[in-house]
Amino acid sequence: MNFNYIKTLVILLAISLTACSSDDDAVNNLGGENNVRIEFDAGVNGDALLLGAASYTNSNGESLTINRFNYIVSNFVLIDAEGTEFTYPKDDSYFVISEENELTEVLLENIPADEYVALRFGVGVDQEKYQQGAEGQGDFLQIAEENEMMWSWQAGYKFLNFEGTFTSESITEPTIFQIHMGSHGSSLDNYREVTLQLPTDALVSENLSPVVHMAVDANQVLDGQYKIELSEAAVVMIDEVKSPQISENVSGMFRVDHVHNGENVQH
Amino acid sequence: MNDLQNIKSIILLILGVFGSTFLKAESLKDSTNVFANFNFKTATEDFGLVENHKTSAEFFDFDDCDVCGCGSSGGSMGYGTIGDGNFVGVRYITQQYRSRDGIYNNSPWIDENFNTMQAWARIPVSQKIKLNVIVPYHFHNRQFVDETSQRINGLGDISILGFYQLISPKLDGFLPEQQTKFKHSLEVGVGVKLPTGEYDRANNEGSVNPSFQVGTGSWDVLLASNYSVSHKNWGLGVLANYTIKTENEQEYHFGDQFNYGVNLFRTFNTLNAKTFTPVSISPVLGISGEVFGENESYGLVVQDTKGNVLFSRIGVESTYGKISGGVNLMLPLSQDLNGGAVEAKMRLGIHLNFVL
Repeated sequence: MNFNYIKTLVILLAISLTACSSDDDAVNNLGGENNVRIEFDAGVNGDALLLGAASYTNSNGESLTINRFNYIVSNFVLIDAEGTEFTYPKDDSYFVISEENELTEVLLENIPADEYVALRFGVGVDQEKYQQGAEGQGDFLQIAEENEMMWSWQAGYKFLNFEGTFTSESITEPTIFQIHMGSHGSSLDNYREVTLQLPTDALVSENLSPVVHMAVDANQVLDGQYKIELSEAAVVMIDEVKSPQISENVSGMFRVDHVHNGENVQH
Repeated sequence: MNDLQNIKSIILLILGVFGSTFLKAESLKDSTNVFANFNFKTATEDFGLVENHKTSAEFFDFDDCDVCGCGSSGGSMGYGTIGDGNFVGVRYITQQYRSRDGIYNNSPWIDENFNTMQAWARIPVSQKIKLNVIVPYHFHNRQFVDETSQRINGLGDISILGFYQLISPKLDGFLPEQQTKFKHSLEVGVGVKLPTGEYDRANNEGSVNPSFQVGTGSWDVLLASNYSVSHKNWGLGVLANYTIKTENEQEYHFGDQFNYGVNLFRTFNTLNAKTFTPVSISPVLGISGEVFGENESYGLVVQDTKGNVLFSRIGVESTYGKISGGVNLMLPLSQDLNGGAVEAKMRLGIHLNFVL
């Protein structure tokens, strides 16, 4: 009698040793198309960015309170493991990200099913688009104007609008700073491209619609690979030296923190 | 993860060896022969309490590995009580966690409360084989920063385990030479956790605790072992168990889990003078640890889902005739859960059993 129980136990044990090793791969048969959402989650030096609230001190020894952090992202490309690229339709691929206006998401629609491993996009507006003239900009011109991302049509787009107040060793009274970076017509090209590897592949299929959660570090604008001191100049708009440096800094402020895979992910 | 793989291999190996000895062991009249060297024959101990089965204290602890709601997963709170081999009863477990809602250092923490009411039983099938069954009902809630809250409740994942007693404690006779100084008990078990609790993928999203669920939605294999040794009224219990988790229908795969614990207890026995009902009380002191593997979603590793936590444990268990009850409190000593995004705060378990 007991022997039967033991047999059952041993069989159970045997099942346990063999049963759970197979990993079926549902990912292999992706089909259809779906949306990809990209979240731009602004931070500063590891903390969440709260406009006008807290101040923080950067490595230049300057203490900043950020009141505006707007920028343009464009020309999205999704790349799979084989290096195959899907380029989002160019006319629909320009977006303003604005903390103050709560524009913090890019929705890419009708992305073909695939397992994407990397993401490429531009910061700002490329010359090709700008050369199409005001007519060629479509709705984006108005969106840029509404979000303080235009100087004038002749001067062009502001790729970055970064404002607030600061103090430093030499400037002890809170002083306004304004960092407006762009291409300045077609004479100076500050458009930059950013390629980011995804820490987890983004799965797109008929029923899978991933969210790419990006961490954007506002500190990098002044405190990136180039150190831009506000004490030297609190307003930087058209500057042949500093504007290109800021554009390099800005292209280094993006990082993909994580990817959520799933259907209609509530984030 | 590698650590966990190693632990898994070791446990499988041990169970394999035990499994093969099951058949042999059964032919032995008393499996304590396996540990015969430990059975020191000594003169007179505890003469007044010859029938002192409480001192043969087995500290049976099988954790009810139901990941869900057990915060960062299962509880090393343990399945068990001191001494009473077989019982049916109820246990209430409350667990408090906090999880970071966001990716930044100053992202807000949200409080999570996991509550479980479970019916549990340890039923003898034969002299050496016991069946453990746990039927949990969970009611969890969490409070978000925007003052909203979320509640989930429902039947959890039912666990069924068969335990085989490899080493049984020797019962003391009346004569001094029939008494042993050290009493050992070793049992190993195999079982399944059924996907009876509802798994909701939506609760896995966001940056908050991925274990806010009432079920894993998966069929899981449970491997368990308990060893205990007692001397006079003192007892020491050691437990180790491993849960092999599988992918659920929604293609989410919770990471494997390893639980371990060491508990020291002392039993005080007395009799109710009027009714001659035996009464015992046993304070317990111990540590319990849990190690979690990484979760996978659609076959891809989910970042920041592995971790480990070590708890201290203080408790007391008591019996009055056929009724036994206990309270156990667990507080974290050290932890590294979900990349620091989840923190265990405390765990409290209260049970009331009827001894079979």
